[in-house]
Amino acid sequence: MKMKVTPERKKRTKHSLLSLKRNKLLYLMILPGFLYFVIFKYLPMGGLIIAFQDYQPFLGITGSPWAGLKHFIRLFTEPTFFMLLKNTLILFALNIVIFFPLPIILALMLNEVRHKMFKNVVQTIIYIPHFLSWVIIVSITYVFMNVDGGVLNEIIAAMGGHKISFLTSPEWLRTVYIGQIIWKELGWSTIIYLAAITVVDTQLYEAAEMDGAARLRTTWHVTLPAIRPVIITLLILKIGHTLDLGFEHMYLLINSLNREVGEIFDTYIYTAGLKNGQLSFSTTVGLFKGVVGLILVMLSNKLAKKIGEDGVY
Amino acid sequence: MNRNYKKLAALMLCSGLLLTACGGNANNSKDGADKAAAGAGANGGTQAKTKISWLNVLHTASPPTDTVLNKIEEFTNADIEFSWIPDASKEERINTSLASDSLADIVTLTILDNSSVRNALKSGMFWEVSPYLDEFPNLAAISRDTRSSASIEGKLYGVPFQKSKARNGVIIRKDWLDKLGLAVPKTTAELKEVAKAFTEQDPDGNGKKDTTGFMDRSDLVYGAFKTLGSYFGTPNNWAVDNAGVMTPEFATEGYIQTMDYMKALYDGGYINQDFAVTAKNDQQQNFAQGKAGIYVGALFDSKNLLNLAKGIQDGMELVMVNDITSTGKPEDRAIWSSSNGIGGLLSFPKSEVKDEAELKRLLKFVNDLMSDEVYALMTYGIEGVHYTADADLAVTIKDTDLWQQEVQPFAASRPNETGYKIHDADPLKVEAERLIQENAEYGVLNPAYSLESETNTAQGSELQKIITDATYKYILGKIGLDEFKGEIDQWKKSGGSKIISEYEAAYKAVNP
Repeated sequence: MKMKVTPERKKRTKHSLLSLKRNKLLYLMILPGFLYFVIFKYLPMGGLIIAFQDYQPFLGITGSPWAGLKHFIRLFTEPTFFMLLKNTLILFALNIVIFFPLPIILALMLNEVRHKMFKNVVQTIIYIPHFLSWVIIVSITYVFMNVDGGVLNEIIAAMGGHKISFLTSPEWLRTVYIGQIIWKELGWSTIIYLAAITVVDTQLYEAAEMDGAARLRTTWHVTLPAIRPVIITLLILKIGHTLDLGFEHMYLLINSLNREVGEIFDTYIYTAGLKNGQLSFSTTVGLFKGVVGLILVMLSNKLAKKIGEDGVY
Repeated sequence: MNRNYKKLAALMLCSGLLLTACGGNANNSKDGADKAAAGAGANGGTQAKTKISWLNVLHTASPPTDTVLNKIEEFTNADIEFSWIPDASKEERINTSLASDSLADIVTLTILDNSSVRNALKSGMFWEVSPYLDEFPNLAAISRDTRSSASIEGKLYGVPFQKSKARNGVIIRKDWLDKLGLAVPKTTAELKEVAKAFTEQDPDGNGKKDTTGFMDRSDLVYGAFKTLGSYFGTPNNWAVDNAGVMTPEFATEGYIQTMDYMKALYDGGYINQDFAVTAKNDQQQNFAQGKAGIYVGALFDSKNLLNLAKGIQDGMELVMVNDITSTGKPEDRAIWSSSNGIGGLLSFPKSEVKDEAELKRLLKFVNDLMSDEVYALMTYGIEGVHYTADADLAVTIKDTDLWQQEVQPFAASRPNETGYKIHDADPLKVEAERLIQENAEYGVLNPAYSLESETNTAQGSELQKIITDATYKYILGKIGLDEFKGEIDQWKKSGGSKIISEYEAAYKAVNP
């Protein structure tokens, strides 16, 4: 189909070409970023093709036989699928319901602290755990919570209670998991909210004060609405990672006795895929994860726009 | 790979073969190899060394320094370049190496039941070595049994690591036994009594109830479970009857008895309560700190335990037991064999090793590794530096720390571990060696080890999780026998039945 070129369009094209020429240095500056995405993000996506193959590394993508939807059928029909989905969703829900509001609350509280030195000290201290690796955090937990000589259990025993096998009980896994996340990431997550709070117009506070609002009221009616766009944006981004809880943390926590609640897509990809060498199957799981994440982000973004917020794009 | 390399390889091969031919005779092949190797070593000064890259598994915390390596290189006239893979991450590392084709001239494959390793072997990615083995004296000495056990569908894709057939047993604190006036247990019931006494009668005499009987780790294979299972007559992975019907070990009476036994230990507190999450390192440390008195594992671990205990539990004396049965009858003695005595393969990928001449050069190198001299180097180090030896070739390590740094990392890479004259002078080591040799007679082999089952290759380890999890849950009292059997049904439904029928077909093909 031949497109009819109107004079107007011609003019516009010419104009944009001209601006491209005139600002070529600026456009050149985009190039590295553009190449980065092409090389490291888009080209590797081609590898997703192995989800539809019986991939054998030594035969390569071109030589491996096609498998159709075999791996997808296996994923959706395996009894583990529902366990994985359930565990992932429950942990995600805990993450959103319990963990997500905490940094906001903490940031609001920190905002009320007027003593600058004290505030800095508190902030520094609560940032530190963020820099520890999960291996260290889980090891610390082990030292505290194991049954044979764990500090926490010794305290419980000393107070006449029964020792609790935190690390081998399915009912404790989620508590331990979310507790560790809170300990590690709470302080660090407040940063962005604190930054958002600092740009709130001080006149608003003064006006509220004039109207006789107490501290709590100003927080509720001024600070919170002011950082609402940030909260929504972060929430949407977080939802995008629904099935992407992170492999390392959970992998370190699960064992034979709590696997039924602890196995999530990320750990499954690792054990079934990489460790056992089923590359096609694990790619299938990964692809599924990615697609669900994409859909959820688009849905929540739409929802955010519907309720009058900006969304992320 | 440049041309020089090939020329050199050919040259080395010819000289190697020639020397072997001169020095060797039919009756004493090992001596021949030694002379050949010595010859090669003597000529080392005049010829440039061949470069050999080796993707190898590291069982210690850090790779060895060059001291011993230089000696080995001198001896084998090779310039060895190691890429070390830590044992803990070997599965994913080997898999990614296979997937990305970033291999070396020699690749140590210790996990032959891993699906990508098995597929890689079957796909012809590696050289089939059986036609060449007999050209090299030390390789020719590898028994037919070992060769066929290490084969896949009748083909041998590398030089098998020759390990002792069965090396597990029970290690007990002798000083604690003596203190409580107990005898060395002979039956599983007596063993439990010892564990009970160690838990309840304060064997370390500190007035506190802070000891347990067993100190175990989260490993149903190399930990206590499988060894105890042997005592109850559990087959090694699979049992096969005369009609060729295969039964997985967990569907046998012995397995359930073992679970009950472990459960009793757990319920009574005679085992560390967190054994399901205890790492091997913690297990050994805890034992060395005097927290428990019974250790089940490789018999030669006794020496390590004693070393670890230095300065902490100086009174520690250990006794090793390898003849425990559940019935008390000596004819019921049994001990599972780890991989039927095969520790994996030294394989040569075709992508790196381009032609026969190069392959033969590498085989010659492996052959030299099996010589008495290199065995001594890889086991004890350099005489005068790491050890001293008496006229009887009994070795005393001079400096354990130095040995651990410079020599120990090589030990796991020895293609052969048995049948050498040089030995450790340490009585505990000698005793462990004796018991391990005795074990071979009672070793229970896995009849499915060299059989093929496609489902097992693809899904076996995922399916095994069902059983492993259920076993732990049973031992810890979270599920009962009916639920355990339900899990077996689950295993069967998820693919276990297919594994059984595939193995049965494969077994019938081999044993018509």
